[in-house]
Amino acid sequence: MAKKIGAHDGENRTHDSYFLKPGRYYLQGNQACIEGALMAGCRVYAGYPITPAVETMEYASQRFPQVGGRFIQMEDEIASACALIGSSWGGVKALTATSGPGFSLMQETISIAVMSETPMVIIDIQRAGPGQGYITASQQDVMQARWGHHGGGPIIALAPSSVQEMFDLTIEAFNLSEQWRTPVLVMVEETVGHMREPLVIPPRDAIEVIERKKPQDLGIPPQDYLPWGHGVVAPMANWGDGYNVNFVALVHLEDGNIARYSPQANYHCVERLQNKIEGNVDEISRIETKFLEGCKHLIICYGAVSRTAMEAVIEAHEGNGLELGYIRLVTLWPFPEEKMRKIVGNVDTIFVPEMNLGMMRHPITEALRDRCKKVVSIPSFGILHSPEYILSRIQEETS
Amino acid sequence: MNLQGSSKRGYRVKKDERFEIRIAGFGGQGIVTIGRILGEALSIYEGKNSVNTQSYGPESRGGACRSEVVISDGEIHYPNVRKADLFIALSQVALDTYIADLREGGILLFDPDSVKNVPDRDKYRVYEVPTMEIAHDIGGVKFQNSVALGALCPLIDHMIKESSLRQAISRNVPPKTVETNMNAFERGMNYGEEDRGT
Amino acid sequence: MLKYLKEEGPLGPRLPLIFCPGCGSGQVLNYTLHAVDKLIEEDEVRRENFLFISGIGCSGRITSHYLNFDSAWTIHGRALAVATGALLANPAFKIVVFTGDGDTGSIGGNHFIHACRRNIDVTILCLNNGLYGMTGGQHAPTTPLGAITTTTPYSNREEAFDLCKLAEIAGAPYVARWTTAHPQQVIKSIMKGLRKKGTALIEILSQCPVHEKMSPVTLLKGFRTKTIHVNKAKESTVGKTFIGEFCDLDKREWNESYQEIIDQFLRTNDKIDE
Repeated sequence: MAKKIGAHDGENRTHDSYFLKPGRYYLQGNQACIEGALMAGCRVYAGYPITPAVETMEYASQRFPQVGGRFIQMEDEIASACALIGSSWGGVKALTATSGPGFSLMQETISIAVMSETPMVIIDIQRAGPGQGYITASQQDVMQARWGHHGGGPIIALAPSSVQEMFDLTIEAFNLSEQWRTPVLVMVEETVGHMREPLVIPPRDAIEVIERKKPQDLGIPPQDYLPWGHGVVAPMANWGDGYNVNFVALVHLEDGNIARYSPQANYHCVERLQNKIEGNVDEISRIETKFLEGCKHLIICYGAVSRTAMEAVIEAHEGNGLELGYIRLVTLWPFPEEKMRKIVGNVDTIFVPEMNLGMMRHPITEALRDRCKKVVSIPSFGILHSPEYILSRIQEETS
Repeated sequence: MNLQGSSKRGYRVKKDERFEIRIAGFGGQGIVTIGRILGEALSIYEGKNSVNTQSYGPESRGGACRSEVVISDGEIHYPNVRKADLFIALSQVALDTYIADLREGGILLFDPDSVKNVPDRDKYRVYEVPTMEIAHDIGGVKFQNSVALGALCPLIDHMIKESSLRQAISRNVPPKTVETNMNAFERGMNYGEEDRGT
Repeated sequence: MLKYLKEEGPLGPRLPLIFCPGCGSGQVLNYTLHAVDKLIEEDEVRRENFLFISGIGCSGRITSHYLNFDSAWTIHGRALAVATGALLANPAFKIVVFTGDGDTGSIGGNHFIHACRRNIDVTILCLNNGLYGMTGGQHAPTTPLGAITTTTPYSNREEAFDLCKLAEIAGAPYVARWTTAHPQQVIKSIMKGLRKKGTALIEILSQCPVHEKMSPVTLLKGFRTKTIHVNKAKESTVGKTFIGEFCDLDKREWNESYQEIIDQFLRTNDKIDE
């Protein structure tokens, strides 16, 4: 086995002092995600300055060396995403945070990571677009999260709605990326990124951290190792483990061969990737529900907007006559279609408030069109919806 | 503002009492810092739940800037101000923009050197504190936010102890300036008890 | 020079500029307009031929906000790629590119060296403040070794680019460096750059009082006292290709250097403050 190098060799979880002590803290969303990443064992951050993700980067530059990790400001976002690939295959979990324009630059690399099944986490603190847009909040990249990387390969995307979730879901993002050998996106609005709230950091042994399965852990020697085989999620040998493993993002067979190409091989490769994620959507994706029983109308929301929606729904239940149910998508992709179909009965109207012109309303409509009379988008631009605005739109549509 | 009731379906719903603070002015006046310190004092030292948000223009100095703190004993869903209970205005533009969002009977704290005109003054409980002047007197405009926090302290003493605010300020300013900031805080707090307007 | 500015700025009257008090961008705008004016008056260049293209950063705001010319506020680092396209459409354009040290030296690095290699007819004004100003003071490829910035809180372990040397090696025929404290020289160089058919880089050291946390006067004085004029005799190398070892130095590797930061700041129990 290759000589282990650096401070990452198994030591990263053994020093309590690295982490914030369990307790209550007051942090920004952009900082909470870094603490979550460190808890999850992330020890490399490579990024590029972009508003409104800058605080994440600055906080990372302070914290990563404190835990024996490394931080680097790369020349651009493409380089940052590539550095994540290098770190991940070098055996160390890696993170970057960016915003819309940078997220666009990273798409080729994300596609490469999907095909090569590289665990890594990218946080997109979304700002208004298109183009340079403006530095206010939006949810405008949620479709790009699924379809922006060329080739349409599947991906996992989470949507935190609070500072606590910036911590919790970043840990979950790393766990999902390691468990399913895939890049995972954390789609955040500038609102949540810049918001400050109490953050409860639990004791480290209460946090589950998942590591990628390696062939050496499963007793598979180098000569028997199939880099893309041995099951739904192939065990991942890293550079330096003695497996002579070749990173490749071309269409490949289970043994890593890229030369014996055929349309069947192409289909098999892509289908395997697709099934790995989309075929396990029930296990991977999460939703939260409230007031569903017998509700007349339904709000389906995600991210920061879900906080407004919850306030609106509670107010509605306090007696202005609207019987509103509430579903929050904690996971945007893979889209939890079946999960929702199981619990949503027939309703009148489904409302989808989004900080964009209507994006998640499409898979929602596809999933639940037969369970409602209509699906109505409630867009908002640059500012978070207010409860009054959501309720007034609902009143308009339902009167 | 404490409502408890059940909907038709029998869900017991309680709307947690929220206290909403908005601070607005120009970039560089420490608006964001005021909100952050308030939020930290409330959340860490008083054990309350609070959410602090802000928005500003892109220039490092001079653009409009707004910070909000929503406080509750329970869970806070919508993180922004719906109807402010307390509004601190450090510029005329800020006052003009946000005065309508202050509820009747709410508290308005402003700096009379930069805010000259307050429409419908009688609708609110108004306090005038020359934060900029006091800050200059102590050592410079960078102490303005501590003066403002001091001025604010007696107005929210039902929610937050003086010691909590002091502690939060000390933790959030450069160590060499803690003493001066405490001084600024006191000056703001003690500003003409009898000079406070109606 | 006011005739070259728009009637209104982005937030109302064009003056005062939106730049932070003491920023060097306003000075560079002023010097550029003087040079442009000379070209219009003396060389009779048509005003319509001027095209100002900028990248992203504080320097990027000089074009769209103020200039009453054709202009473009483009993608971070890629103003030169856009300029290349514009010249393909019309080689008569007189293009001035406003860019910053991060815009040119970091994300735009690739386009920078290729523009110089191709020798396209642009005048690149690189406002170098040694950091990323617009996003809050992060380090840049031009930040000096050892500097403390928001992303090098312990110290910068990277050497800085010499953007002028880069441009020269890549093939730019006119390369100069001045500072905002050298108004006449800047104006003359910009005029030379505009008159030169080919890539001209004029790097202008520009002060950022906000992130350097120093007064503009101190910074400008520093530009006068800490700079030295270089007049080198250039040997003729026509018709010959250099071969041999050009350099063989011992330099600290990045990770080796960063390890020192880890060793010093590793959060062991004795280092935590409550």
